[in-house]
Amino acid sequence: MKDSDVITLEEPRLSYADTFYLPQVLIGLGTTMRHMFNVVVRGKDRVIQYPEERREDMPVEKGGMLLKTYRGVHRLNKDDEGRVKCVACFMCSTACPANCIHIVAAESPWADREKYPAKFDIDELRCIYCGMCEEACPVDAIELSHVYDIVGLTRQEMIFDKAKLLNIFDETVKKEPM
Amino acid sequence: MPKITVDGKLIDCKERQMVLQACQDAGYKLPSYCYHPGLSIPASCRICLVEVEGIPKLVPSCQTPVRDGMVVHSRSPKAVASQKQVMEYLLINHPLDCPVCDQAGECSLQDYSYEYGRSQSRFEEDKAKKPKKDVGDNIYLYSDRCIMCTRCVRFTREVSGTSELYVDGRGYREEIDIFPGKPCNNKLAGNVVDLCPVGALLDKDFLFKQRVWLLKQTPSISPVDSGGENIFLEYNNGVVYRIKPRYNAEVNGWWISDDTRYSYKIIQNEKRLKSAFKKEHGSLTKTSTREAFDFAVAQLKSLAAQSSGSLYAMLSPMMACEEAFLLGSAIRAIDPEAVLILGPVPSAEEDDIFRHSLTGQQTFVIKAEKVPNAEGIRRVISQLGGPSANYNELISGNNPLLKNLKGGWIVGGYLSNWIKGALPAALATGFRVVQDILPTTLSESADVVLPGAAWAEKDGCWENYAGKIQPFAAAIVPPEGITREGDLYLALLGRTGVYNAQAIRKEMGEPFAAVSLPTEHVQAPAMEFAEL
Repeated sequence: MKDSDVITLEEPRLSYADTFYLPQVLIGLGTTMRHMFNVVVRGKDRVIQYPEERREDMPVEKGGMLLKTYRGVHRLNKDDEGRVKCVACFMCSTACPANCIHIVAAESPWADREKYPAKFDIDELRCIYCGMCEEACPVDAIELSHVYDIVGLTRQEMIFDKAKLLNIFDETVKKEPM
Repeated sequence: MPKITVDGKLIDCKERQMVLQACQDAGYKLPSYCYHPGLSIPASCRICLVEVEGIPKLVPSCQTPVRDGMVVHSRSPKAVASQKQVMEYLLINHPLDCPVCDQAGECSLQDYSYEYGRSQSRFEEDKAKKPKKDVGDNIYLYSDRCIMCTRCVRFTREVSGTSELYVDGRGYREEIDIFPGKPCNNKLAGNVVDLCPVGALLDKDFLFKQRVWLLKQTPSISPVDSGGENIFLEYNNGVVYRIKPRYNAEVNGWWISDDTRYSYKIIQNEKRLKSAFKKEHGSLTKTSTREAFDFAVAQLKSLAAQSSGSLYAMLSPMMACEEAFLLGSAIRAIDPEAVLILGPVPSAEEDDIFRHSLTGQQTFVIKAEKVPNAEGIRRVISQLGGPSANYNELISGNNPLLKNLKGGWIVGGYLSNWIKGALPAALATGFRVVQDILPTTLSESADVVLPGAAWAEKDGCWENYAGKIQPFAAAIVPPEGITREGDLYLALLGRTGVYNAQAIRKEMGEPFAAVSLPTEHVQAPAMEFAEL
């Protein structure tokens, strides 16, 4: 890097009033007061009673969300015979920018296919839900479902294995066909 | 020296060289499937057809000798049309199973299809389906992926001289096959997998384990014999998945033996020693390397203080020269009269010599000496001077130097159990520090056991049978609990800092000082076509 490319920035000096911080505190409190006024006096409620009330059930112009394009937790699709569709080609894990897909390939037990995933783990906490895996898949085996409310008590629980991902397919296939 | 012009580029050639080879040597890429610099030239794949001014038809560049002033066009409309047609014909029956094919990523059919082919197939009929065949203990043949370049057939005829593979049938029925009950199991069989430009021949050992584009390469040397075959260790996430040959015209050419190819398994051996042990109250107890090391050093120092010449170091021919130098110097620093002993050098009856099946010309040798560095250790011992002996003298007890040994540092590191039968009496007495990869009867009875690192986990150099000193680099880190030998010996010498093979070689003087790792990976011309 050349010296001419380096730009040195001076930290802006605080004015005398700023050094007290009080004006900023009052401005912040003002926002709180405004919301309180809106709710209590004008009766405009911004709170959603989740999970009874859900954003996907609300119209988009009223702050709802369009579930059709939402990228939620992954699912592993099954073929007509209920076998995992994945051929363990590693395209998704290669395309993954977050390195959250871990596959162990093995020789498949079925005659019509060479290879299948013996293990297929996705670290849902590491995933950034970009959908690149879906794009990369040559056999449409991995998809992002619209399910967004996944929970777990430990980090280990949030690493979804093959069984769990296939299970999400079973749960979502009716609502979101392949 | 003749000069030719290829696509407007002037290329210097050797006398009687072929156009394709001249281009490859000059770093100019022409496509090729069947051509391999180490094999005969059948000119059967036709992808390398080029236009030569003065010749009305296209000629195969792999089989056309250069002539001074020759003008070659590989990008002229006629040549490009031919390349497109050849690609289309090759892909007619080729299955579209790149996602499950192990060759994907290093497949020249993929590369050339991208570079020279058309992106769509006009073939509407059903593709011919050919079976998957088991052609050897380590090899699968996927006949439907084969493009009939016959590299593998020529290899078994011209290099291994065993002729197991042959071409069966003609036309669209043409297939590579083995004779019934005669599988391709020679000691060089694995090379046909490397030779195959497509995914027809695949290694059973590597099958489905990892995609090749995820692997990284580190230049290394074969640990199985004194031939010093040049290899690449291919690894990902700290696991070595396979070994591939590295071209070296002086040593192994393009090939490696199967023993070398599968030698990486020692790294993943389940029995490997992974922690240090120290003898307490008559039995070995697990301890930290640091503690075991300190205990060993204290014991050795007290033995040396009692009488000079009572210590020995057994330098294994599996050690790197740098490590041997450091351990030798360290033991001499404790006891100036310490004896340096060359460890056992296991050897087969005689060299395995491979010959061309027709001409009888020698093509490849697997050395009988089954350790990589016996020469190097001999050189280090003689450079260090002072009392020295070999393993046979130690166990027979004939050498007067070895009469009053009281303690020693014994290094193993062999790829298999090196103590055959009962423990020799000379190794069963005295204070013994044993550093090894695999447990043996010796490590079970030693006073201190230190786990060793495998060759893929450390830097160093080995001298092959012909006196060629070749460096190798660490590809992966040793498993937890294992300290690299080099670092331990530096601590034994009381020096600070980490082990740096290059710096130690400088210290050792000639001829080691001149040895350094190739800055760029040396790749054989034939292996280069994966590069676009």
